[in-house]
Amino acid sequence: MSIEAITITKRFGQFTALDNVDLNIPSGELVALLGPSGSGKTTLLRIIAGLEFADSGSVRFDGKDFSDRTARERRVGFVFQHYALFRHMTVFENIAFGLKVRPRDTRPSRAQIQAKVQELLKLIQLETLAHRYPSQLSGGQRQRVALARALAVEPSVLLLDEPFGALDAKVRLELRRWLRQLHDEIHITSVFVTHDQEEALEVADRVVVMNNGRIEQVGPPEEVYNHPATPFVYNFLGNVNLFHGRIDEGKAYIHERETGHVVYVRPHLLEIDRVPNGGSHFRARVKHINSAGPLVKVEAIAEWGDPVHIEMSQDRFQNLQLAKDESVFVIPKDLKIFAGDETSKPQ
Amino acid sequence: MATTFTLRNMGVAASSRAAQATTEGIFVRWLLITIAVLFLGVFLFMPLAVVFASAFAKGVSVYLAALREPDALAAIRLTLLAAGIAVPLNLVFGIAAAWAIGKFDFVGKSFLITLIDLPFSVSPVVSGLVYVLIFGLQGLLGPWLATHDLKIIFAVPGIVLATTFVTFPFVARELIPLIQAQGNEEEEAALTLGASGWQTFFRVTLPNIKWGLLYGVILCNARAMGEFGAVSVVSGHIRGRTNTMPLHIEILYNEYQFAPAFAVASLLALLALVTLFVKSFVEWKSKQQPDAIEWMRTNEPMAAPTSVTAGAKVA
Repeated sequence: MSIEAITITKRFGQFTALDNVDLNIPSGELVALLGPSGSGKTTLLRIIAGLEFADSGSVRFDGKDFSDRTARERRVGFVFQHYALFRHMTVFENIAFGLKVRPRDTRPSRAQIQAKVQELLKLIQLETLAHRYPSQLSGGQRQRVALARALAVEPSVLLLDEPFGALDAKVRLELRRWLRQLHDEIHITSVFVTHDQEEALEVADRVVVMNNGRIEQVGPPEEVYNHPATPFVYNFLGNVNLFHGRIDEGKAYIHERETGHVVYVRPHLLEIDRVPNGGSHFRARVKHINSAGPLVKVEAIAEWGDPVHIEMSQDRFQNLQLAKDESVFVIPKDLKIFAGDETSKPQ
Repeated sequence: MATTFTLRNMGVAASSRAAQATTEGIFVRWLLITIAVLFLGVFLFMPLAVVFASAFAKGVSVYLAALREPDALAAIRLTLLAAGIAVPLNLVFGIAAAWAIGKFDFVGKSFLITLIDLPFSVSPVVSGLVYVLIFGLQGLLGPWLATHDLKIIFAVPGIVLATTFVTFPFVARELIPLIQAQGNEEEEAALTLGASGWQTFFRVTLPNIKWGLLYGVILCNARAMGEFGAVSVVSGHIRGRTNTMPLHIEILYNEYQFAPAFAVASLLALLALVTLFVKSFVEWKSKQQPDAIEWMRTNEPMAAPTSVTAGAKVA
């Protein structure tokens, strides 16, 4: 089922959580709402779910207006950030809840409920823990139960609010791969909220980058990462070096402050060398080297005194034999220039 | 196995050392304990013992006769009736108020909380007088009630009203912090799963608050049966008709019938003991529930500080 949010505005007192937001999610896609806290992503998700109602604008499922329908009528599966499992019910009862509360004429029989819950327990690989209480489960297990509970009612849309936010790094990684796999199997239109750009880029078919109650950019992960539409998106998706400068006849002169342009360069797009290779470059002094991990991270002080972050492969680092306090040349391989301050549109 | 053993031993050693670090000298310890025991003895156990001793001072037959006397039976019946109406009313009201306050934000919320606490802060005698001023013969609605032949003051309805008013805050006060600590998420989850409002309440909300609720009801009931001041003002002390147990005891005592007075008093004392026992049981039971307190402690870091206080209150 496709989801459309049309000119949604939502205020909480003086605070505008969503400002005229338009979003179209085609059927069967897995979409990430990505943004810093306070960007309105969770509010948008809750408005789609019917847990919150917009001040203006409408929500459509498959083209039908659902704006005034309650959460109960929308048939969405919602997974809460802190799982919201029913603490007095076992895993089995939690998953069966949505089937048991149906009106008598549409309620499945006991045997059918039993079979459905078993099937879901198998899906989340927790068959042996059916009679445990939520408090006896780990965070990752709780998250999976919450997902199974939401899927039990066979929702037409699956909405997840920071689904991996409260888990430790390792479980997080496992679970998000599992979610991707699950989505590939059941193809249910899914929207998840996250503030973790890595998570969004890895799991989603499309990423919706949000900031200050507005959508900054919508697109596939490669597109938003490689072709950021705004300085915010560039800044938010990955590490970045920010220089001020000016543009003169197609050449960027960085290091001259407050001259109307902002230059962004990702750390892995800066190269270090001992000799200038003829192209554009600047001098810097190596201040700190961190060689733990797949990439070597170098912090240097540019000739005008600002810190610059550079990433290079371990091979390159070995060849270079870089040492602390050494003077080097930094060569930008690619850079992105935006006019004006950080919130303006690209040129 | 060996590792766990040493670990456990280390834990014991560490904790006993910690205890030593914070403990007082033997003299101070004994002094404090003696003061506490003496205080408890003089102010709690002695009166309790005196009640039962005096009740049986003239033998078991006098004791039983005092309870079987028609006026005493009427007083017991009236007390049960008043509590039987006041407690369910306050149960429903308490849940409704706690629900509204715990789950929603609205204008005048803190005013409502203050209003709920009013019966606690106002002297019971004043509460009784208020009803006299409203429903009494010279009161606001007095003439209208008189023409319609309705009696509230110096009659059973007045006693029920006064009891209900005085015991108003118990359930609500117990539930508000509990419901606030639990938040809305489980209810929202139930709604998205297709549950109706009532289903959500009976299957999700109520099970989560049941121990706090029971605790509030126990306290409410104890107070409803023991209330003296407010009921005394509205009752009129008509023997066999508008006397509750506490009022009956007072009359007997004033007539120098000590043994019967204490006999009826012993029932109230017994009620207090039963209440304490049930209360301890409820506390123990709520701790047994792995979900009640531990859940909050382990699960939601955001809710943890408030939920611990709520848990401590029940505990």
